[in-house]
Amino acid sequence: MEFLQNSIDFLLSLGAAIFVPIIIIIAGLIVRMKVKDAISSGITLGVAFTGMMMLISFMSEAITPAAQSMVETIGVELPITDGGWTTMSTISWSWPWAFLMFPLVIGINIVLIVLKQTNTFNADLWNVWGKIFTAVAVYYITDSVALAFVIAGIQAIFELKSADFHQHRIEKMTGIPGVTVTHKMVFLAAPMYPVDWLLRKIPALNTSFNAADLREKVGLFAENHILGFILGIVFGLLARFDVAQTLTLGIQAATALTLFPVISKYFMQALEPISAAVSEFMHKRFGDRKLFVGLDWPFLGGANEIWLAVIWTVPVTLLFAFILPGNGILPFAGIINIAIAVPAYFACRGNIIRMLITCTIFAPVFLYVGTVFAPFMTELANSTRAIALEPGQLISNSSIDGPIFTYAFSHFMQVTEGNWLPLVVLVLWVACFVFYSRELIRERRAGEAAAAAEAAAVEA
Amino acid sequence: MAAKVIVACGSGVATSQTVASKVNRMLKEAKIEAQVEAVDLKSVDRYLKGAAAYITIVREAKEREIPMINGIAFLTGMGQDAEFKKLVDAINAFNAKAR
Repeated sequence: MEFLQNSIDFLLSLGAAIFVPIIIIIAGLIVRMKVKDAISSGITLGVAFTGMMMLISFMSEAITPAAQSMVETIGVELPITDGGWTTMSTISWSWPWAFLMFPLVIGINIVLIVLKQTNTFNADLWNVWGKIFTAVAVYYITDSVALAFVIAGIQAIFELKSADFHQHRIEKMTGIPGVTVTHKMVFLAAPMYPVDWLLRKIPALNTSFNAADLREKVGLFAENHILGFILGIVFGLLARFDVAQTLTLGIQAATALTLFPVISKYFMQALEPISAAVSEFMHKRFGDRKLFVGLDWPFLGGANEIWLAVIWTVPVTLLFAFILPGNGILPFAGIINIAIAVPAYFACRGNIIRMLITCTIFAPVFLYVGTVFAPFMTELANSTRAIALEPGQLISNSSIDGPIFTYAFSHFMQVTEGNWLPLVVLVLWVACFVFYSRELIRERRAGEAAAAAEAAAVEA
Repeated sequence: MAAKVIVACGSGVATSQTVASKVNRMLKEAKIEAQVEAVDLKSVDRYLKGAAAYITIVREAKEREIPMINGIAFLTGMGQDAEFKKLVDAINAFNAKAR
């Protein structure tokens, strides 16, 4: 037993780039991958970790001097580096317990399908990391692995429920049948719903304009390399760098934003065979039942409104970051905030004007939650050596998915230390979720009734 | 040179790479030489030049000259065989033209 413990400790001490590949090779063999494919997946994962480590060091080395300089030039201290979701997923996968989340999430899904409590089969196993992310925060706050998995399990249940409730609206808005979104970013639509309800009372906000043309004009600014360059230049100017330094920072920032997706792709390449094996198993097991397939958000990417809201949120977030008291994060790699635009798209039913207002109202939430999560993510990154940080350096994400839910459910245990805020937020979020779900269910029933009436009319 | 096939998603990381890995495996098993590449939807137009087909997972109004394959089929498994056949035909047509 002691030998086993010692070997595990030894493997963990080697860092995430070694032990996570070992875990995935074992996991691959369990789902009956060929040995050579399993090894290939494992090494690819090691490459992904090491590549991300390189890139995050590069990014923080480029940006930190500018951020430090800004303390003197404009008097704003933003010490937390924004690594975006790719950095958060890297750190999450490096949690030693991370891979146990697969059986938990799949198990919950199977049980709920069998009990007929959901009609969604979640095929998006990549976003298991979102559950791991919440679990990590719970673990650092409560020091309990068991509780971390319980909260992550609750998140998985809410994801399936939310996917069930949204399916008809998604089908109507995208024209794609049979699929829904199981991503937790949709959770923010619940608190956005009462805001949209108020906005709808103002007649002027029920108008709309053509999002397609405008997106065509401003879409360029959302491309990684261009946006990165602009951000680098802005940071350089605010830090009062000279021309050469400013241009260099522009190109370095463009490099970082361009390479993040290129490298994090390797995570996906490594994990895809396992996810495919699970999907196949689920199809065989539940092939006879009509289930909606739960996917990640990108199939909604045809909606110009989402992209316009994303682009709009960039300067809004940046401005808030500099003026909001208590914010510690300098928005960078997380600034393409899909996690605000997608729920706004659902809550406002695609009305672009109300979406932009809603995104403006909710942008500060992302900055504050990003600030609150920095200590855990930094501590985990340091302890697993998933990424290399200088002493005292902090890392987080300025676009954490489902920020209100994630904050409330991971922090509510702090009530034992006298901090009531997370618990209050939790209750409010659940109330919003209930009201919003009722609205969605009402809409679905109305749609079904209309379809039935139409069918009856045709027959008559 | 192997024919290039493009698949795009919101970030070019997760969904598109899932489809790309899966289709690459299917092409390899069918012994068809082609390379599927996952890219960022925001920059997709830059990548489509010289590609044999575009596997899309979004509904867009935009008309394109390149053969379009429904990528959702590869995520859900529904209609996957038909879409894969369409893709193989597109690659073959592309290679015939290139020769």
